[in-house]
Amino acid sequence: MGRVTQLDGGFVLRWMREMAGDIHDQRDFLTQLDAAIGDADHGINMDRGFAAALAKLEAEPDGPPGDLLETVGTTLVLSVGGAAGPLYGSAIRQMGRALDGAKTFDAETLLILLRAGLEEVQRLGAAQVGDKTIVDALTPAIEAYERGLRSGDDLVGATSRAHAAAEEGMRATIPLQARKGRASYLGARSAGHQDPGATSTTILFDSLQRAAAWEAGP
Amino acid sequence: MIQSVRRAASILRELGAGQPRLGITELADRLGLAKATVYGLIRALEEDELVERDAETGKYRLGPALLQLGNAFLDGHELRARSLLWADSLATRTSEAVRVGVPNRWNILIVHHVFRPDNSVQILEVGAAIPWHASALGKATAAYRDEAGIGELLAGPLPRLTGRTIVEPAELRSALESIRHEGHAVEDQEAVIGEAELAAPVIDHDGHAVGAIGVVGPVERLLPDGKVREDVLAAVKEVARGLSRDLGGVRRFANHR
Repeated sequence: MGRVTQLDGGFVLRWMREMAGDIHDQRDFLTQLDAAIGDADHGINMDRGFAAALAKLEAEPDGPPGDLLETVGTTLVLSVGGAAGPLYGSAIRQMGRALDGAKTFDAETLLILLRAGLEEVQRLGAAQVGDKTIVDALTPAIEAYERGLRSGDDLVGATSRAHAAAEEGMRATIPLQARKGRASYLGARSAGHQDPGATSTTILFDSLQRAAAWEAGP
Repeated sequence: MIQSVRRAASILRELGAGQPRLGITELADRLGLAKATVYGLIRALEEDELVERDAETGKYRLGPALLQLGNAFLDGHELRARSLLWADSLATRTSEAVRVGVPNRWNILIVHHVFRPDNSVQILEVGAAIPWHASALGKATAAYRDEAGIGELLAGPLPRLTGRTIVEPAELRSALESIRHEGHAVEDQEAVIGEAELAAPVIDHDGHAVGAIGVVGPVERLLPDGKVREDVLAAVKEVARGLSRDLGGVRRFANHR
C-alpha cells in the first residue's frame, strides 16, 4: 500500500461515488431511524440529494477538487429537504471554498476542510456535542483524524480512525435526549433512538475512508 | 398530603422524562426519596392506572389513564375545539401543515396539528412545547401580552435552537413590536433548520391573545427567496380573524391592528 500524498478532483469524485452508493444502500435504515423522531424522510432525502450531486460530478468530473465539492454542496442544498440539505450542503460547500481553487491537496489540508465543514454546521445549527445531532459524530471524527495525523498516520490510517470515532459518537447518541431540531421539543420521544444525522455523518466518514484506501492502492 | 401529591407528580414526570421504564430503586435514587415512600406512591398511582407495571421487567411506566386525561385536557380546550374546522380548511387551502398553539410559561404548547395534505409520513406534534421565542405561534401570542407579561418572557430562558434563533431580549422586543403592528409573526428556521412558520394571534372577547394559528413547512416554500408567501399569509390571517370572531374577539382584534 503506497502512502498517499496529493489528492485531486478524482479523490472527491470517488468519495462521492462511495457516499452515494452507501446512502442508497442505507436509505431504508436512515428513514427508519428518522421515523421515531422526525418526518421519516432523512434516508429518502439524502439518497435523492447525493444521487443528484453524483450525477452532476459524473457529467463534469474534471474540475479542481474545491469546485467539485462546491457543486456537491450546492446540489444538496437545492435538492435535499428538511435540515439535512442546508446542513450537509453548506458544510460541503464550505469545504470546497476553503480549497480556494487549488488543484491538489494533502491530508493536512483535509483536516482544515473538515474543520471548515464543522464550523459551518455549528454556525447554522448552534449544536454542541451531546445535543444529539450530526455534531456528535462529526466532532470526534475530526479530533480522531487530527490525532492520527499527529501520531504519524497516513491518510488511510487517519481516515479510518475518524470513521471509528464517528461510529462511536453515533452510538453514544442512543440514550440521549435531543436538544436541537424537532426532536428537542417533542419531549422524551427521542431517547432510546440513534440520531439519523449522526448516522449519515458516520456513513460519510466510512466512504471517506474507502476513498482514501482506494487512493493508496492495493 | 400536599407533599405526597408533589412527590407523586415528580414520579410521573420522571417516568415521562426519557427512560420509559424505571424500577422502584431507580426512581428512589433519581428523586432522592426512600424506597418505601416511592413504593407506596407507585402503588396508589398504579391503582388509578396513572402508572403501570411492565410484567416482563417488573419496572414501571406511565399508565393508560394519562392518555384519557390528556385527551380530556384537549377536548376541554375552547381554542382547540373551535380551531378544528378552521385548521382543516387552512391546511387544504395552503397545502401545508397547520398548528394551533397556546402559551404555557416559556413555551407555546401545540394543542392541534393538521398534517400537510400530501400523504407523506409526518409526526404528530400535539403536546410539543416549543420555546416561545423560536416559534411564530409563540411570538404572535407574546406580542399581544401586556408590558409586564412581555417583560417576564424576555427575562426568562431564551435558548438557542438554531443559529437563527433570536436570543437577544432587545431584538425580540422590537420583533414583537413589528408583529403587533403587522398582525402576524414570521419564523425563519429559528426552531428547526429548513422550516419556517407564518402565524397570527387568536384574540378573545377580552382582547387577549389566547393562542395562535399558523402554517409550518419547508422554508423554500413559505419564504421563497426570503420573502413571505403573501397568499399563505393572507389565508393564515383570515383564519385567525375567523377564530377570533368565534371567540367573540373580532372588534378588539381589529383595534389591535
